[in-house]
Amino acid sequence: MGRIISATLTRALLALLIVVALGPILWTVLGAFKELRDIVTPVPKLIFDPTLDNFATILRNPTIRDGLLHSAVVVSVSVLIGAVLGIPAAHTLARHARRYGDDVQFFVLSLRFMPPVAIAIPFIVIYLDLGIYDTLFGLILVYLVTTISTVIWLAVPAFDRVPRDIEEAAAMEGCSPLEVFWRFSLPVAAPSLFGAIVFTFVLVWNELLLALTLAAQNATLPVVAASITSLGKEVPWGVINAATVVLVVPPLVFIGLLMGLLNTSVQGGRK
Amino acid sequence: MTRNTFVRLTLVPAIALLATLALVSIGGAIWFALSNRTLRSPDYDFVGAYNFLRLLRDSRFFNALEISALWEVITVSGTLGLAVLLSVLIYETVQKPLWRNLICFAFLVPVLLPRVAAAFIWRFMYSPSLGVINYLCGLLGIGPVEFLADPSLALMSVAVVDIWQWGLFFTVIVLKLMETLPRDPIEAAMLDNARRWEIHAYVTLPMLKGPLISLALVKAVESLRSFDLIFVMTGGGPGKATETLDLYAYQMGINMGGRISYASAMSLLLLLVTTIAFTIIWKAGKKWAA
Repeated sequence: MGRIISATLTRALLALLIVVALGPILWTVLGAFKELRDIVTPVPKLIFDPTLDNFATILRNPTIRDGLLHSAVVVSVSVLIGAVLGIPAAHTLARHARRYGDDVQFFVLSLRFMPPVAIAIPFIVIYLDLGIYDTLFGLILVYLVTTISTVIWLAVPAFDRVPRDIEEAAAMEGCSPLEVFWRFSLPVAAPSLFGAIVFTFVLVWNELLLALTLAAQNATLPVVAASITSLGKEVPWGVINAATVVLVVPPLVFIGLLMGLLNTSVQGGRK
Repeated sequence: MTRNTFVRLTLVPAIALLATLALVSIGGAIWFALSNRTLRSPDYDFVGAYNFLRLLRDSRFFNALEISALWEVITVSGTLGLAVLLSVLIYETVQKPLWRNLICFAFLVPVLLPRVAAAFIWRFMYSPSLGVINYLCGLLGIGPVEFLADPSLALMSVAVVDIWQWGLFFTVIVLKLMETLPRDPIEAAMLDNARRWEIHAYVTLPMLKGPLISLALVKAVESLRSFDLIFVMTGGGPGKATETLDLYAYQMGINMGGRISYASAMSLLLLLVTTIAFTIIWKAGKKWAA
């Protein structure tokens, strides 16, 4: 009898934990489909007439539309350049540069952990002097610090896991280092590398501080979303919820990949 | 193409770009910190250590330092504590792989959210008049509680969001680490009639000491970049109750008159602390990996 009670209790506790993890997000999604009068109620409403007005407001608002566009451009370009420069560098660090590889990796990873405010404040003056303040180019340039360093950080272990035999056999057959990299290492490591790129994408997509300080008219979606509160007189909670949903969807698409990345890196680390 | 050209061709562009950007920002920060530059006027003079000496007499700076330290302690211990507790709970009570995976998926969702989005979600729920948390408090006969407007509660309320994102994420990591542990010591402890919690307290968790300390340091560095969350939820308020160092540097450098030099001096201190913490993580990580 005691066993049954404790089993039920743990089940209930676990269910509660899942509600705590997911509930806030689901509640926001519900809020995004509510009219303001369904939100401003003393008792929270679960049943209501869903409306698409909030999403329509967002898509009709030129500032938010531009923010979405700027985010798309800045994030895709900086992640692409980060991958093109970072992946070959990671391969070399994993395979050819054992001697000073550790120091380079230390440098790269320390950049990843640099406080953004320490980058933002000097760059605002430098950008004003150079005339690239408030440009997408300027934003992409600072985001390269994040994307290149993150790609290298995650891609080095991915290349470490490529069996050495394959590469050595290819080199014996007379393949140049470039051919070994392009035809053998890259395809084998591809799944992990894809995870690394996705993780980098999520980091840049979510970034607020640098975009907030280095851009004004050309800001990205998080900056625009953060400023919605001052849209009109009363706080437009429905619109804020809808904007949050738009902001949340792209990273969540990749949750399966993050899980895979976690599984391989935990097992790789313990071997 | 020889091996050396390949090495140079792949490594140099990426590292050169990173090094340039890093040197420009750190060099710029040092240069600005030693002058009296503002965003308003292009003229400036070299003032030596003046900005750093002024920091020592700035009570708002010390307030920000205190809030940052408090924030570090609360979020790091909260995240780690929650992660250890929940991972042991799940390890003990959920045996089916399917259920474990479902729980892991649910726990990974919060950390993927943009900080801005997480901040809005919780600001909405914390709202005194229409928030769902205050509704639940009301059912219990408490409230309405001004979670974000009460100076004594605001920092804790924001920290809850941070722990919600990172604690659940770390739970998944610790659980995965526990699954990779060898079974023998655990079974030996079971033969000795150890209780469940004793096995974890004296066998499994000590085996994970290295990774757990690494996780704590990673979280400590991550907690230093709390700007997004606090900026959206409270903006540093009420008063200065949630104003951390990066928030104060932002207010000084960009919002209030653009005192770039003063803000640079502050961000250099933050950089110094981060670098020291990070070097320790790196050294420690190398030691445990070996």
